[in-house]
Amino acid sequence: MTGLFKTRLQRHLREMAKYLRLVFNDFFVFALLFFLGGLGLGYSNVLKQLHGHEWWAPLVALLVLTIVAQIGRLATLIEDADRVFLLPKERAMHAYLVAARRYSQVIAQATQAIAIFLLSPFLAVTLGWSVTPVLLLLVAQVALKDALLRMDLASAYQVTGQARMNRWPIKWGLSLIVLACGLWITPLVAVILAIVADIAVAVWFQQHWQTQQIRWREQIKIEDNRMLGIYRFFNMFTEVPMLSGTIKRRRYLDGLFHLIKPTHEQTYLYLFSRGMARGTEFSGLIVRLTVIGMMLLYFIRGEWLPVILAALFIYLIGFQLLPFFHQYDDIVFTHVYPVAAAQRLKSFVTLMTLILSVTAVLLWIVVVLANQQLLPAAVTLIVEALEVWYLARIYTPQRLKRSAENRA
Amino acid sequence: MALEVSHVVGGYSQIPVLKDISFDVKDGELVGLIGLNGAGKSTTINHVIGLLTPHQGTITLNGVTIDQDSQAYKQQIAYIPETPVLYQELTLREHLEVTMMAYDLDHEKAWATAHKLLKTFRLDNKLDWFPANFSKGMKQKVMIVCAFLTSAKLFIIDEPFLGLDPLAVNDLLNLIEERKRQGASILMSTHVLDTAQRYCDRFVLLHDGQVKTEGTLSELQAALPEAGESLNDIYLSMTKVDRS
Repeated sequence: MTGLFKTRLQRHLREMAKYLRLVFNDFFVFALLFFLGGLGLGYSNVLKQLHGHEWWAPLVALLVLTIVAQIGRLATLIEDADRVFLLPKERAMHAYLVAARRYSQVIAQATQAIAIFLLSPFLAVTLGWSVTPVLLLLVAQVALKDALLRMDLASAYQVTGQARMNRWPIKWGLSLIVLACGLWITPLVAVILAIVADIAVAVWFQQHWQTQQIRWREQIKIEDNRMLGIYRFFNMFTEVPMLSGTIKRRRYLDGLFHLIKPTHEQTYLYLFSRGMARGTEFSGLIVRLTVIGMMLLYFIRGEWLPVILAALFIYLIGFQLLPFFHQYDDIVFTHVYPVAAAQRLKSFVTLMTLILSVTAVLLWIVVVLANQQLLPAAVTLIVEALEVWYLARIYTPQRLKRSAENRA
Repeated sequence: MALEVSHVVGGYSQIPVLKDISFDVKDGELVGLIGLNGAGKSTTINHVIGLLTPHQGTITLNGVTIDQDSQAYKQQIAYIPETPVLYQELTLREHLEVTMMAYDLDHEKAWATAHKLLKTFRLDNKLDWFPANFSKGMKQKVMIVCAFLTSAKLFIIDEPFLGLDPLAVNDLLNLIEERKRQGASILMSTHVLDTAQRYCDRFVLLHDGQVKTEGTLSELQAALPEAGESLNDIYLSMTKVDRS
């Protein structure tokens, strides 16, 4: 059974690695560094303004640590089919679940350690803590998280009857008591309390699990929700197949679509525009990048930097829209309709020009608002206009013609 | 002579699936394309609609080949695929509109036809639905409505009877009958042999990428006297030839 978990874990980690590579693309890392740098700077500025012995300091630490203690769920990797295929193996599932908890510890405990590490300058400045109490607090936090994960594990069984041991009032309550003792009395008390709680749960669970059934349905639901959360997160950066394929009617756009006259020449403009806007894949990409670009440009001042960034964002969007041309290649009617291929390409170029122009104008407005100077505004506008023209009208047809030749 | 397939060798890769195929479909004629799974029916159809290019041989539609004028060639064809394919992001209404735009139809006239067809196939209250909400049978009906909206000279229908309810099958046969009277040709592949026997004017029996035999039912019966009376018997005897 631990073998089963290992295979699943490998598959899971491969999948996560695939998405993480997509999330942490060069561009995102760049933005993230900016963001973290800003946060770090802000944090150190706040610390400089403190003079020690603030009455609210332990309260802030308590709140932060209690929230952090809830981060890191029990990842069981249980699948829907398991309740059919693994049902006869219910007793053996114990080893599987224990292995799952061991894996879950890694991320959860790393999070705890990082949180304590980040909080240590704050504790040192406000409470005058040296290294020893901080380390003791770390031990308490890790033991606490261990106990909380053990409760999650115990709740996979019906050990406590209908009530679950890992309900949020219990978890939050235990965290608050342990950490409050550590912050107001002394960290050593927190260490003792956390370890006692951990051992109590462990002993109790050890005595009871063998006579209990696994809550299959609930565990499957919990795991599904956990995965859904992860996929949703990834979906903000890239397209996740488990979530994609969603189509929104977007009735409010009908007015815009009606501007496209239903003539033979416009066949593909009619199709492409609706497909692009209603499918979440490409419309989401355009909106995401435009909004990020606008936010970034709002904080950027200078003569050339806004111009370069605006140009970069238009290029990024335009470049990533190119595959949409082949979106309907699998649909036989794309080839059967008596519409010339050149007409299809022309419609796509028109759509590209439209989308990139709207993005360019939005970015330009932000540049004007942020800088309020004539020169950057004028230069940005000219550069954007040239770029949109080149990207949509020259580069796109060339590139798509070449890829069509490669396909044939 | 509407469609003329002559000495076509072709397939998906360099290895030919079709080995020197020739047959024709005349104006106002319904020809049944009959054969086992893998006999080459779909490959033949894909060549006719221009998805595949023959290695050898020619396909002419009212005197035009796809190489001479692809638009004029495609303009004459309406296709109903075996598995319905729809644009996921378009509503039923928009599918009809795209068809009208693609075939450059007169919108007013086309909509009149469309409403009649929608009513026949009980889709008239679903104009704003997305394909995701349609059942397989409904999707197939959408394909039928889109195809018969056009004034194509050649209808190519790939296995239309599976998945349709009996009422719809009947309505489709009536539609085919009506278009035939107007002079359109129909090439239809199917496994439902008793229906084919009753409605098709001629048959092309494909086997292993070759035209085994073709002709009207009486011609087939004359060619294979031992086989039996019905198309089903003739078809079965044809496949047995290969088994022994």
